[in-house]
Parts: sequence; C-alpha cells; structure tokens
Amino acid sequence: MKKRKPVGTVTRRDFIKGAAMGTLGMALYGKGGTALAGAKEGVVPFAAENPQSIVVLIRNEKAIGAGDKVDAAVVQEMIDAALKQFSGEADAAKAWAKYVRAEDTVGVKFTRCDWMRVHTDQAVIDAVVKRVGEAGVSQDRIHAQDGGLPIAKCTALINVPAVKVHTLTGIAVAMKNYINFSPAPSKYHAPATSLGEVFLLPDVKGKTRLVVVDFLRPYFGPGPQINPLHRWNYHGIMVSNDPVAVDSLCLNICQVKRNLFKGEPWPITPPPDFIAAAEKTYKLGTSDPAKIKLIRLGWEKDILI
Amino acid sequence: MVKSQMPDKAKILASFSLRQILPPEAAGWKTGREDQLFTRDDVFDYIDGGGEIYLAYDFRFVFVREYVRDGAPSIVVEIYQMSSSEDAYGVFTHDSDGDAVDLGQGAIYGAGLLRFWKDKIFVRIMADQETPEAKAVVMGLGTKIAGAIPGDGEEPGLINFLPEEGLKPKSLRYFHTLISLNAHYYLANVNILNLSPETQVAMARYEREGSQLRVLVVEYPTVERAVDAEGRFAEMFLLERFDAGRKVPPKKLEDGKFAGVARRGRYLIIVTEAGKKSDLEWITEIISYNLEGSKP
Repeated sequence: MKKRKPVGTVTRRDFIKGAAMGTLGMALYGKGGTALAGAKEGVVPFAAENPQSIVVLIRNEKAIGAGDKVDAAVVQEMIDAALKQFSGEADAAKAWAKYVRAEDTVGVKFTRCDWMRVHTDQAVIDAVVKRVGEAGVSQDRIHAQDGGLPIAKCTALINVPAVKVHTLTGIAVAMKNYINFSPAPSKYHAPATSLGEVFLLPDVKGKTRLVVVDFLRPYFGPGPQINPLHRWNYHGIMVSNDPVAVDSLCLNICQVKRNLFKGEPWPITPPPDFIAAAEKTYKLGTSDPAKIKLIRLGWEKDILI
Repeated sequence: MVKSQMPDKAKILASFSLRQILPPEAAGWKTGREDQLFTRDDVFDYIDGGGEIYLAYDFRFVFVREYVRDGAPSIVVEIYQMSSSEDAYGVFTHDSDGDAVDLGQGAIYGAGLLRFWKDKIFVRIMADQETPEAKAVVMGLGTKIAGAIPGDGEEPGLINFLPEEGLKPKSLRYFHTLISLNAHYYLANVNILNLSPETQVAMARYEREGSQLRVLVVEYPTVERAVDAEGRFAEMFLLERFDAGRKVPPKKLEDGKFAGVARRGRYLIIVTEAGKKSDLEWITEIISYNLEGSKP
C-alpha cells in the first residue's frame, strides 16, 4: 500500500515553494481573500457562491468516427444532455435560458492555435453558438473567438476550452483558456500560481456563466506542440460553471492516461499549482476532487475517473 | 550557448538551402500555405504558448512548409536551424516517444510524426493523421532533407560522462535552463541549481535490479557557480547545512528515496529518486571517475 503524505506535513518541496513565496503559511494554508488590487470589496466570483461544485461529464462512443472525424450532431446532443443535467431542466432551451439572456452580449471563448493541433473542435463551438442564438441573442452580439475577443463589450462569457497537458503551465483547460485576456500572458507560466487573477480582471470578473469543455480528443503529452502518440480519443464533453473544478478533474484524467501510456508514473510537470491557488487565493471554485460532485453520463469505457 | 545575431527573414528564406531541395509536390501532396519562417523574435506566432522550449536553446529560426492533398491529411515540415549541433541534439531529446528509425544522427517516428537531428538541424515532419501514403511521404521528405545536410555534428560531450549500464535510453535529456528542467522534472519553483543559458545539463534515469534513480550532471562556466549551486541544493533541497569544501552526505527523504549532490570542479552530480543508497553511491562514483578522466 502506498504511503500517503499526512495532512499538514511540510515536505521539502513545500518548503521550497513557501520560501519562494515569502511565506510558507500562505502557500500551505492560504485563507484567500481578494488578492487582486482593484477588485470590489464584498464581491465574490460566481463559483464561490455554489454550495457544491458540480461537473457533468458526458461521453459518447459515436462522437468520433473513422479518421478521427467528429460527429457534429452527436456533439450537439451531448452538450444538450449535459446542460440539461447540469441545470436540472428537462428541456434544452430552458436549460440554456438559465445561463444566457436575450439581452446579453456573449463571448464564446474557445482555444485556437493556428499551426498547432489541439484546439476546440469546430463542432463544439458551433453547438454552443447555435444554442446561444436560440436563446435569443442576436448573431451580432455573439462573439465566438480566441484572440481578440471584445471582452469589455461582453456581459456573459462561455468558456469553451480544449484539454491539453502543457509544458509551461502543467495543464491548459478552462483556467488557461482566459490567459490571453491578460496583456502579459507569459507571466502566468510556471512557477507562477497566479493565473486565477485573470478571472478577476475588471472586464472578466463575474461574467462566466458556463464552462463547456471539448474533451473529445485531449492531449496528455507536453504540449502545445504535439506528438500524435500523446493524443487520444476520449469522446467527452464536460459542463460546469466552475473552471477550477473542471481543471482539477481534467488534470486527474490526464495524469491517469499518462501513467497508463508509460506503464509507470509520469507526473505532469510543471505541477499546475495555479489550480489550488485559484481556490485558496482567488476563491474561483473547488480544486479538491473529493469535494466536487461529478455526474457521469453515457459511455463508461476507459473513463479514467 | 551564446546567442547569435539574426539576418533579415526574407534573405534567410530566399537562401535557405534546405528549402530549395524540398519538392513542390510529393505523391499528390502539393504545397499549401505559403512557406513561413519564424525567428527568435516571432516564434510565438508559430508555437503560441510553447516557443519558450526552443528559445531555451540557441534556436535561430524555423522554416515551415505545408503540403496538402484533397481527401488526405495535411503534412507540415518544420526545419529548425540551431546554432550548434549540441543544441539540435538537445531539442531532439525533448520528447523521445516513438520508434527509432535510421535517419540523420538520431530519429524517431510514431503515428505520423518523424523527428530527427543532424548537425545543427532539427526536423519535425508531421502528417495530421497517419495513413500508409502519408507515412511514405513523411519518410521520403525526411530522407531527402537528411541527405541534403552535408555533415554530422558533435553530440554534447557532457552525455559521455553518463554510464551506459542501467541507462533508460529514452529518458536521456540535454538542456541548459530551468524551463527545460521544469518541463521534464520538477525540483522546485525556484532555480535552486542556478541554471542559465551558460550551463549544460545531462539528465537521465537508471534502473538496476529493479531499483531506479535519476541523475543530473550539470556543467557550470566557473567553479564558483558550481559551488554556489551545490550549496543551494544542499540547503534548499536536502535541508543540510553546507560548508564549501566539505562533502554533503546523501539523505533519505520523506518518500523513502535517497538524494545527494557531489561536486567535481565545475561539475555537479545530483542524484534523486534513488531506491537504494548504494545505487546513488555507485552512479556518483562512476560519473566522478569519468569526469576525472576528462580533466576539464
């Protein structure tokens, strides 16, 4: 049986981290509070209001066909089913109406790397944009973009990332998807743990209504430049409103996949400490998988969680 | 690693000899987007969020050509010009997953991606999806490029200090800076080894009789910098008092594994994750012997 690190034990790696931050207590037991200068007192981001973070993971074997072709109709069904489950509504239109209003200006923030290969699949983007439109938002007020998204104009954001292990941040999912809302994205690369502050930027704060993760063909190797051996067809979509919980669960799944690939532990490195910091320091959501309510729908084979 | 001056991009593109030997068409694949060239200044336009991995070496530029064919996966050829063969080798070791193939001075192929190095050149050729036809084109282009690079280059001398016995060959990495170390192995969120573009690191994992360990050999430009890094590792990682000139004893850590550091002139030998203390002592002794023989 593996030995577990006792709760509260300070290891030398913790010590080094603590020393680097200037205060060990902050690193291990940070009590949070709004860390970003300029954030309004008393205002807490949406996820902190949730009594429990809920994540819906839906998988469908038919989402990806021959030649790794994504089936757009199946993807639409998956997103609708996940959102109905997440919202508690029996009807997809009513489910979307809980998160998007006709008067909103909606940013659909996806991931697109021009020459690289792991980006949000167009079928996922199209499915989200379609439902936002059907919720009454006119096309000229739906901004589906990666770079250049007019964040200041948006009253609502839907975070639509892909999933990839990343050489500079550990993992890139919902948290990192907002990195280019910052004028200095590289400052959030490891060992920085402050990525959560992007969600508290004045133009971003409190606008994220949903996170819809393209977990169809994630990447578990050191991205963003890919080795196709490190890409796998997971056939999944994840829906939540908690970017921290989403990142935490995706991290777990990718870690399991890496270990399976190598046949021995292959730790994700650098460790994405920004996920825990997003909870403890920035109060953006839940990072402890044991405290996240995961609802699993559909195909269970090789779910890895 | 000394950074070199870059001439004008258009001039490089026009005169880059390996571009000239690439065919305009291969088995029905024709050139797609216009040929591109990215330098240290704009590599992020190509590898958004990942250019740092190349900038951590003395990367000069990357030439990119795309081949497309209706109903077939696109194929992208990337030719990285490095300033030294040692750094071409180093970039090649960044990812070792795949099957070894006989091309250049070292090559790996897997699932549509061919990677190889030769002299100061590192090459990646990737088909969006692996098909027999696409693989044939990828390998054909790779063979053509490798054949057009006239000479071989030296591997980093540092890797020769590592013993072959017990070496897990796919674990061998060569790099300079903290960003590369963090990409492969996380020691701490501070630069406790004082890594910089002037340092060289050879890192590998070993297995002996079911017991494993990781070793890093670091070459510093001066003895003083090696001593400083030795002290930082001893005090920050091993949590041992450091007195320059006195041997730092190996230490059993919280996970039951052993770690230690030894200095030989400008070189540090760092062992971590050792299942047995005797293995740590074994590899430290062998590398020390190899370093003594080199008379740096």
